Amino acid sequence: MPARGYNGRTAYIFIAPMLIVVCAFVLLPVGGTVWLSFLREVTYLPAKFVGLGNFSRLIRDENFWQSLKFTAAFTGVCVPLEVVLGLCFALILNERIPMRNLIRATILVPWAVPTIVSARTWELIYNYSYGLANYVTQAVGLSDQPINWLGSPASAFVALVVADVWKTTPFVAIILLAGLQTIPEGIYEHAKVDGAGLTQRFLKITLPLLKPALAVVLIFRSIDTVRILDLIYVLTNGGPGGSTTSLSLLGYKYFNEGDFGYGSAIAVVVFLLAFVLSISYLRATGFGKVFK
Amino acid sequence: MSEARVRKILLAVGTAFMIVFCLTPFMWMIAVSVSKYPDFLGSQSFVVTFRNYLDIITIGSLHFLDHLRNSLIVSATVALACALIAASAAYAVSRLRFRGRMPISLGVLALSTFPQISLVGYLYKLMRSLGLINTYPALILPYIAWTVPLGFWILLSYISRIPHDLDDAAIADGASRGLVFRKIVLPIAAPGLFSAILLIFIAAFNEFLFALMLTTDHSARTIPVGIALFQGLHGEIPWGYIMAASTLASLPLVTLAMVFQRYVIQDITRGALKG
Repeated sequence: MPARGYNGRTAYIFIAPMLIVVCAFVLLPVGGTVWLSFLREVTYLPAKFVGLGNFSRLIRDENFWQSLKFTAAFTGVCVPLEVVLGLCFALILNERIPMRNLIRATILVPWAVPTIVSARTWELIYNYSYGLANYVTQAVGLSDQPINWLGSPASAFVALVVADVWKTTPFVAIILLAGLQTIPEGIYEHAKVDGAGLTQRFLKITLPLLKPALAVVLIFRSIDTVRILDLIYVLTNGGPGGSTTSLSLLGYKYFNEGDFGYGSAIAVVVFLLAFVLSISYLRATGFGKVFK
Repeated sequence: MSEARVRKILLAVGTAFMIVFCLTPFMWMIAVSVSKYPDFLGSQSFVVTFRNYLDIITIGSLHFLDHLRNSLIVSATVALACALIAASAAYAVSRLRFRGRMPISLGVLALSTFPQISLVGYLYKLMRSLGLINTYPALILPYIAWTVPLGFWILLSYISRIPHDLDDAAIADGASRGLVFRKIVLPIAAPGLFSAILLIFIAAFNEFLFALMLTTDHSARTIPVGIALFQGLHGEIPWGYIMAASTLASLPLVTLAMVFQRYVIQDITRGALKG
């Protein structure tokens, strides 16, 4: 059988286009960024090798620590919220509800709207004088005065969290729904016969069996949130007073000023954070099954 | 209260919340886009108008149509090229034995977790030295590389499921691997290709950071950057225009996602759970 033998040359011809684009436009740039992080590379000055100079500057840079703290806090708040809400959505979508297909299509709306579009929409929602957020909070009596949502560090943080949760919860729900669908109906019927209540069935059957899907979603969302940029760029541009500057946004700001060495050092930190998370991702997916 | 009753109430409340939660911002966007006064919740009343749409299409200096054209050309090229490249690689990995089969596949998967910020600084320098800043290739090439993991994993799970008998038979009859790939595998994998193209198109259409750094004006700038940097003609933020542009930019994607929801949901899942 020709198909079962070793045919390296043919295989490499088929794979070559993918390897070439990936090497040229992902691996080379990442390597380049690491190299730049060892340089003093500023517009109008000759590049100079400074070793770990940029990194020692990072350690002493208050803005960097502030960004790292914000990024960690943002990830720590957004991801659990998204997973809990996404799980609720998935549980609902897994039930036999009327117009299920239409409702499934509805939850794809936030997923399909471009991030920048959703960011600008939320920016208008948070508008001080005629935004929807202040209209709603005043109408339901949560606050008797309009809130300057993007004006103070605490409310800007909340505003960003809500916008991020809106955009990404559908993704979480879809993955968890797929996980729920692998749980056989029969298990629930047995438990019911044995007298297990709704809560008990959820805690003893659903949650444990959903663990793999939950792990994947948790790590996937963490990787994505640790490198967040676009939403923040539009909504607060890192403000007020730099309090919502994510690491990626901080790095971008240095690139934008022409400081490629220091910006790259920040980018390397983001890369390492995502890398650590993705290793746990590879473990969680129980990989290699595909290759058996 | 009986369990069935509690369950019913929870479901009804939950479903209502879910729908309101998901649709309100989208509806708000559309409402402002067709409103004469964006501040209709405050002082003004709600008057329907299509002026915003007419203006962004007819006022050339807003460059809305330029951005839209750039986005469509870039995203379509990326989606087609990337799906083909990914299909060819997925075919090799699913059918052929060769050294590096597993490390290459895992490596490509790992790429999808690389933060964009860790590429964009060097990409900017690279594109500048190639004289490509503010051109389509400056976006198309990195986009293909950046979306290829997504396409590869969707197509690998699809092509692995196609029975090998057909290509084995063709090869026994003397057909080359290339011929088998083009004439047998690609046509059978058409649904998988289609859904990969759909997802890659959406990803490329949404991309922001690369486009922000690698383009400088309307000759290559894409819709997300255009919308993020939208400036009015007279200083004040033109919310009506921005929401009209936003609606036009998202309607095609939202429609595609809703019409092909089965494919989309399947692919999001495959993309994350890997088969």
